[in-house]
Amino acid sequence: MAALFGGRRRWRSSQCFHVWSRQLTGKYDYDLVVVGGGSGGLACSKEAAQAGQRVAVLDYVEPSVQGTKWGLGGTCVNVGCIPKKLMHQAALLGTAVKDAKKYGWQISGPVCHDWATMAEAVQNHVRSLNWGHRVQLQDKKVKYLNLKGSLMDEHTVKGLTKAGKETILTAKNIVIATGGRPKYPTNIQGAIEHGITSDDIFWLKKSPGKTLVVGASYVALECAGFLTGIGLDTTVMARSIALRGFDQQMAGLVTDYMEEYGTKFAWKCVPKRVDKLSSGALQVTWTDTRTGNEHKDTYDTVLWAVGRAPETKALGLDRLGVQLNKETGKIVVGTDESTSVPNIYAFGDIGEGRPELTPTAIKAGKLLARRLAGHSTELMNYDNVPTTVFTPLEYGCVGLSEEEAEKRLGKDGIEVYHAFYKPLEFTVAERDASQCYLKVVCERGGDMKILGLHFTGPNAGEVTQGFALGFQCGATYSHLSQTVGIHPTSAEEMTKVNITKRSGLDATVTGC
Amino acid sequence: MAQRLLVRRIWTVSVKDIRRFPAPAAATAASSCFSTSLQPAATRVSFLAPSRALPRSLPHASRREVSFNVQDHEDFTERVINSELPVLIDFHAQWCGPCKILGPRLEKAVAKQKGRVAMAKVDIDDHTDLAIEYGVSAVPTVIAMRGGDVVDHFVGIKDDDELDSFVSKIIGQ
Repeated sequence: MAALFGGRRRWRSSQCFHVWSRQLTGKYDYDLVVVGGGSGGLACSKEAAQAGQRVAVLDYVEPSVQGTKWGLGGTCVNVGCIPKKLMHQAALLGTAVKDAKKYGWQISGPVCHDWATMAEAVQNHVRSLNWGHRVQLQDKKVKYLNLKGSLMDEHTVKGLTKAGKETILTAKNIVIATGGRPKYPTNIQGAIEHGITSDDIFWLKKSPGKTLVVGASYVALECAGFLTGIGLDTTVMARSIALRGFDQQMAGLVTDYMEEYGTKFAWKCVPKRVDKLSSGALQVTWTDTRTGNEHKDTYDTVLWAVGRAPETKALGLDRLGVQLNKETGKIVVGTDESTSVPNIYAFGDIGEGRPELTPTAIKAGKLLARRLAGHSTELMNYDNVPTTVFTPLEYGCVGLSEEEAEKRLGKDGIEVYHAFYKPLEFTVAERDASQCYLKVVCERGGDMKILGLHFTGPNAGEVTQGFALGFQCGATYSHLSQTVGIHPTSAEEMTKVNITKRSGLDATVTGC
Repeated sequence: MAQRLLVRRIWTVSVKDIRRFPAPAAATAASSCFSTSLQPAATRVSFLAPSRALPRSLPHASRREVSFNVQDHEDFTERVINSELPVLIDFHAQWCGPCKILGPRLEKAVAKQKGRVAMAKVDIDDHTDLAIEYGVSAVPTVIAMRGGDVVDHFVGIKDDDELDSFVSKIIGQ
C-alpha cells in the first residue's frame, strides 16, 4: 500500500517537473545558441535548425594584432584550409610551368609570379564563401548575429557589437565552437610589433618578400612551402623537430624535399629579437642552440607559426565553472562533447584532445545537433581520421605513426611494408623523386590488420582519401594486396607494396 | 532554387510592407507566373507616367542620376522604393566575375532609355541585410521595381538584346 502510494506521488511529481521544465523551455529565446561561426559552429547550427530547433549562431572576428579581419566561416574558410590550398596550388603551378618545357611547351624566358593577382583572386573566392555561408544560414532559418558572444550563465549568452552595444539571448542549450587563434611568442622582443601570423599572410595586399617562418608545424611548413614555390626567399627556423605528432620518418622526407626545392632551414635555432631597420626591413637575431652562437639576418616579413591558442578568454567560462585543461587552455569535453556544465557543450578546435580539423568539427557538430534535438544518440568517432599536409611534397596519412604503433605493440609486434616510388610525371620532367615514399604499418601475424598508412607524393590528399575508406573498414594487408591497382598512378604503389623494413631489402620500386 | 527563394522573399516582404499592395494569392509559383500575377498590383500604381511621356518637373527632381550606388537603407527607400521611375537594382559583389561583365551591359541598356529608367547598384557585402531581405542568393541578381513593387527579376548574365527587351518591358508596362 505504501509502495503504491509512494509510486503515485513520484509519478505526480515527475509530471509536475515535466510541466515546469516545459514552461522553462518555452521561456527561452532559442533552443540552441552556438557561439562561433566556423566549420563546426555553422554545421551544428544548420543541422539543429533542420531538426526543427530554434537556433541562433554568433560569429565575431577579433582583428589580428596587425589588424586583419574577415567574414563569416571561421578559420578554415578565411585564414586556413581554403586560402592555404589555393596558394599551395599557385606554387605547384609554378613548378608545373618549369616542367612544361620538358613536355614540349615553348615558354620564352623566365615566368614570374605576381602576389597581388593571386591574393586578390584568393581573397575574392573567400569572400564568395563568406556570402555563401550567409545565404545558407538564411535558407536553413538560422538566426545569424555578428556579435562577440560570452556566457552569462548556463542559459544566457551576451552578444556585443564592436561599439559595445549588448544583446541578451537565452537558450536551452549552448554550444561553444570558437576555435583558436595563432600564438605570438611572449619572450621575443619585437615579435608582436613586427611579426605576422597565418591570420595575416593570406590577406596581405603586397608580397611578403623575403620571409622568415618561425616554427615547424604543418602551418609553418605549408606556408614556407608555397612562399618558396612562388619564388620568394624563404627560411624556416625550427627549434627542434618538424611536424611534431606526425610520423617522423615521413616528416623528414617532407622537409628534405623542401630543402632540395629551395626552402632554407635553420634547424635547432631560436629567435631572440626582431628589430625594424630604417629601411623598413626586419632584422632578426637568433641563437643556434647547437653552437650557442648568435646570428643576424634581415627579412621583409617574419611569420610566427608557433602554435595556436584556444579562444576561451572572453567567453566568461571561469564564472560558470566550465572546466579547462590547465596546460592547453582548451575546454575539457566528454565523448558527447559535453562540458562540466550540464547544458553547455563544446567541440571543434576548442575541445581538449580533439583533432584540429574541419571535417571532424563538421561531423561532430552535426551529430551533436541531432543528439540535442533528441533525434539520435550517435557519438562522434574520432578514430581513423585521415589527414594531409599540403607541403610542396604532400604527405597524407591515416592511422598510427610507426613510432606510435611500435610503442603500442612493440617492434616485434608490427610489420612495416614500404616502397620508394617515382611518379610517372616526374620522369619526363627530370624531377628528383627521392622523397616519394609510402609505408603500410601492419600488425605482425594474424590477420595483419593495417594500423597506419603513410604516403608522400603528388595529390597525397586525393590518394589517402580512398585508402581511408579501407582503413575505416578494418582493412588488412591481404585486403590491400588483393586490391588491383590502377595504372599508371602513384596510388597503385600502395596496393603493390611488398618489401618489409625488417627484410632490409632495397625498397625502391623498379619499372612495371 | 534562387528563383523560388526570391519569390518567397518578395512575398514575405510585400506582405510586411504597408506601402506595397498585397500580391494576389497566385504569386507563389514559378517565375513565369510571378510577373503576370503582379500586373494588377502594378496597374494600381497610377502616379507612374506611361512610357511615352516623360515627367518634366517632379517634386523629387533634385537627384536625377540614372545610375547610382545605394548608400544605406534610407537611401534605398528614397531613391528606389519611392522612385517615380522604374528602377533596376543591380545586386553585385566585388568578388563576382560575371557581375563585372553584366554591370557595363546594364549601364548601356539603361543609358539607351534616356532617363526613363534608373539603376541602383547594391554591393551585397556592404549591404548584406538589404540583399538578404530581397532574397538574393546568387549574384548578379537584377530586380526591377516600379512604385515600390518588384515587377521582374533575373539572375546571371544576359546579353545586350535580352537586356534591352527586359528594360523595355519594365518601362512599357
